[in-house]
Amino acid sequence: MQKVITVSLNGNAYQLDEAAYAQLAAYLTEAARALAGNPDSAEIIADLEQAIAEKCARYLSAHKNVVSGAELEQVIAQMGPVDDTQAAGAAGAAASAKPESAPGAASTHAGESSGAAPRRLYQISEGALVSGVCNGLAAYFNVDVTLVRVIFVVLIIVTGGLGLLAYLALMILIPYASTSEEHAAARGLPFNARALVERAKAKYAEFARNAERHIAGAPWRREWRRVRAEWRVERRRMREDWRAYRRSGYRRPLSPTPSPAADPAPIHYAAHLVTGAILAAIGLLLTLLTVAWVLALISLFRSGTVLGYALPHDMPFWVALIILIGLYQCVAWPIHHVRRALYASGGSYYGPWAAAWNGIIALAVVVVLLWYAAHHQAEVRGLFEQLMRWWQDIIAHHPTQDT
Amino acid sequence: MVPFYYKVAVLNMDADQKFGPIRKGLLEFLVLRIVSGTTVYVADILRRLADTEFATQEGTLYPLLSKLRREGLVDYEWQESESGPPRKYYRLTSAGRTQLADLDDYWSRINKTIAGLGS
Repeated sequence: MQKVITVSLNGNAYQLDEAAYAQLAAYLTEAARALAGNPDSAEIIADLEQAIAEKCARYLSAHKNVVSGAELEQVIAQMGPVDDTQAAGAAGAAASAKPESAPGAASTHAGESSGAAPRRLYQISEGALVSGVCNGLAAYFNVDVTLVRVIFVVLIIVTGGLGLLAYLALMILIPYASTSEEHAAARGLPFNARALVERAKAKYAEFARNAERHIAGAPWRREWRRVRAEWRVERRRMREDWRAYRRSGYRRPLSPTPSPAADPAPIHYAAHLVTGAILAAIGLLLTLLTVAWVLALISLFRSGTVLGYALPHDMPFWVALIILIGLYQCVAWPIHHVRRALYASGGSYYGPWAAAWNGIIALAVVVVLLWYAAHHQAEVRGLFEQLMRWWQDIIAHHPTQDT
Repeated sequence: MVPFYYKVAVLNMDADQKFGPIRKGLLEFLVLRIVSGTTVYVADILRRLADTEFATQEGTLYPLLSKLRREGLVDYEWQESESGPPRKYYRLTSAGRTQLADLDDYWSRINKTIAGLGS
């Protein structure tokens, strides 16, 4: 004869013999210990009890309603030890973008809360235009500072100067981030010594790379060799990628482009092409914008109208001029910034290359527009003929030296 | 002389040990993949993993699923079952889908890197 103990597993009664009960109690105690500090421990234990109950049910029938010690041993062997380090470790891996917060024996809850450091609003004077309010806001909301500035300018215009007061108030109220800890808090980064050292090392590596390329007087020949080597590697990679793509019967997707933030050096060729296309489009847009703006200015100076539209009667000339300049700046500024960001994302050698391209595009647009104007607008044609006459005069009066 | 199959077995055991932490870390990815197909019950997930290198037990899976739910990557709903009490059926949330796409991407990059090194 054996004593039978009735237990409730997640709300259902099961009968166990003493040996089984001892094992189950030990298992559940161990589970509770492993899950201590887990915010969902009660739910997980309920789930585990439910799973144990279902496994026990397999050993029971109409003629057998007690679970024996040997059977429960098997059930527990199937369940496996309650392992919360998986969850904790995976939490660390998921948050690997942030500097790792030592998981160890600490509960997952603590691990998570240390991963998301509290964020505070500071003014950041590094790279500030006025006082650093926008800079601090941008860091706080983790958006580009240009966006914040544009929003601020729009707010100031829309509210008729009230936004300016708001800026002044924030300027006085928000403290400056002066220590590294405050800088970290401004960006919501967890501040600990290790993370700081890591960031400093990354910064230094970047600085050293840049110094090697630009400051330390690296001869352009060496730089050019390095760039060519980079291109060769990229070409080879692209060729291999393309071959694999062909071998797979054009089904295997081409390898994904690495994100530019991860590592500035190896940029995928396709990313270059896309960046190049966007840069070309932006260059065209900016050139057209500038041409339109210059034409508007000319028409304002010459006839007091903006591209054929008369000014409102009560608007003085200088107001129209300021509005025109301000409007151009407002529109062109974000585009310029996008372009600069694209230069950076294209890798270190992309900037001058793209800038040269932009020059060519701008020149081409201007030439095409001038050609068009010269052929279709009598006024402009007159101007050209006038210029040609002046040119002839200059040549006639100052003969060149080599003739 | 040591028979060939014995060597293979030893090598497998060795690899098993060496990749232990990696398998452990990949489990979350695999669970997300399994959940991404259809709504699944815990036993389904265990069955899918049972015959692979990633055989897992309830003791590991429940804490992991609870963590994924806390992170908003998976969600569950109760469904009646013919035998016994209602069960939790898990499915991927949209955040989980994004995360899975990222992990898929990363994994294919790793594969490419491994394939590209050596040989």
